[in-house]
Amino acid sequence: MKAFRYVRPASVAAASELARGGATVKAGGSDLLDRMKERIATPDDVVALNETPADPTLHSIVKDGDVLRVGALVTLAEIAASKEIGALYPALAEASTQAASPQVRHRATLGGNLAQHTRCGYYRLASFPCWKRGDDACPVLADGAVQDEAGIFGNDSCASAHPASLPPVLGAIGARVVIAQGEKLEERPFDALWRAPEQGVEADVALAPGDIIAAVVLPKPATGRTVAYEDVRQKAAFDWALASCAVGVTIVAGKITEASIWLGSVAPTPHRAAAAEKALVGATLSDGAIQKAADAAVADATPLAGNRYKVDLVKVVVRRALLRAAGRDR
Amino acid sequence: MTQRPDGREEGGFSRRTLLKGAGATAAAGALGGAVEALAQDAGPGLPANASGIAGPGPVPMTLRVNGGERKLDVEPRRTLLDALRGDLDLTGAKRVCDRGTCGACTIWLDGEPVYACMVLAIEAVGSEITTIEGLGTPDAPHPVQTAFRKYDALQCGFCTPGFVMSCAWATKTHGAELDDAGVRASTCGNLCRCGTYPHVIAATLEAAASEEGK
Repeated sequence: MKAFRYVRPASVAAASELARGGATVKAGGSDLLDRMKERIATPDDVVALNETPADPTLHSIVKDGDVLRVGALVTLAEIAASKEIGALYPALAEASTQAASPQVRHRATLGGNLAQHTRCGYYRLASFPCWKRGDDACPVLADGAVQDEAGIFGNDSCASAHPASLPPVLGAIGARVVIAQGEKLEERPFDALWRAPEQGVEADVALAPGDIIAAVVLPKPATGRTVAYEDVRQKAAFDWALASCAVGVTIVAGKITEASIWLGSVAPTPHRAAAAEKALVGATLSDGAIQKAADAAVADATPLAGNRYKVDLVKVVVRRALLRAAGRDR
Repeated sequence: MTQRPDGREEGGFSRRTLLKGAGATAAAGALGGAVEALAQDAGPGLPANASGIAGPGPVPMTLRVNGGERKLDVEPRRTLLDALRGDLDLTGAKRVCDRGTCGACTIWLDGEPVYACMVLAIEAVGSEITTIEGLGTPDAPHPVQTAFRKYDALQCGFCTPGFVMSCAWATKTHGAELDDAGVRASTCGNLCRCGTYPHVIAATLEAAASEEGK
């Protein structure tokens, strides 16, 4: 790691000011320290958001009327153990329980999971060129590259895949994200958190300098609405998903009135499968409708020579998630 | 400093913020003005003059390790693992992957298992740190340590301190309720290249069933 100044901010507003001045924001550090050790990240100044004095916005899970506010510094272990989250949003508790290892879950935070950088092996090693880091081309797109874990959507310039497992679930729940900018706290829709890859832009979250993810707001689950999460990994435990899917469906009198389907590990950002959502609305959650949705989810996929298998994996995780949402055996 | 595509300067605070600051010296705590105002006062265990801005040079700090207080001077970039091993001579936690992947450096921070390689020493100030040296001694071993010996739950032994910390956390958390799946889940963040997993599970289950393992 390159030497840096370590700043304990007096508040989230102070951390935002420091970030606007160019300091790098650190939460649990699981992702950032890894990049700093590889010298992908070489900040002169690190502002330790996780050392902010106790602040319910950042650190707590708070019931606020109909919604649940989860602070950005709440750890994955705390989410997994939360009775409220387990009761109201079991898919979120499940994804948190299955993420990484106990050692990681006790440090890694909700905000850090959202702002997690890609695990693309080329991006992560400074010895490779990388379009995302500002080089001319993405080496993953070259013939003979290791493409197993690359994305199958939106991969014309950068074939990275957003690996975190919580974002698809939060998308399917219809979460909103609270962004701190100086003293101001602003709620934004979940879709607005993500940006398409740009050359030389390493973060996948669409945050302006000084924007800090302060919390996530979970709406009250609507009557008849179910959220389910499924993923496929090489190893059952302590592994990133090769493909993940979270679905949220509302069923009224047997008919699907609304569907939200999010995929992980298949695109540079969490990927909303809009065509699959459309295929479901008005249908019953039958085998036929589930198959149609799974097919629609990959209709616009652009797999590489080395990751065509991910097209099938996506169909599998979409089908399994929908079967679970329907209360049927996957 | 080089310009980034977004117009900010590479690294460091912006020119505006720096000019507002009273001093631009990079030595510990020398930044004043705006940045100082944004930082909080010294944390517990830090001398008052350390303020909320530390480094990049060595910073005096006190860590609470295995029930005692240890003073050291390390840079903010020093990981807790390197501080424990290199500065405090607690070499039980092992440095293998140094990327939060193998589990050989597992310690407890406030009673919960973490990878010491993925925590900065400076951010562990104020927390209770427990290493394998604080869990048990050769004369008074922790039940998990006793069971590891009985079940031959190690071969080369390099991963063992990390495993014991994860397994002792599992017995502490679940007590006699701990089952096979629970040990597997609790140790999924530890790797053993010798493949002693079955013996680790057997040892941990026995320790969990004993009174002292809880």
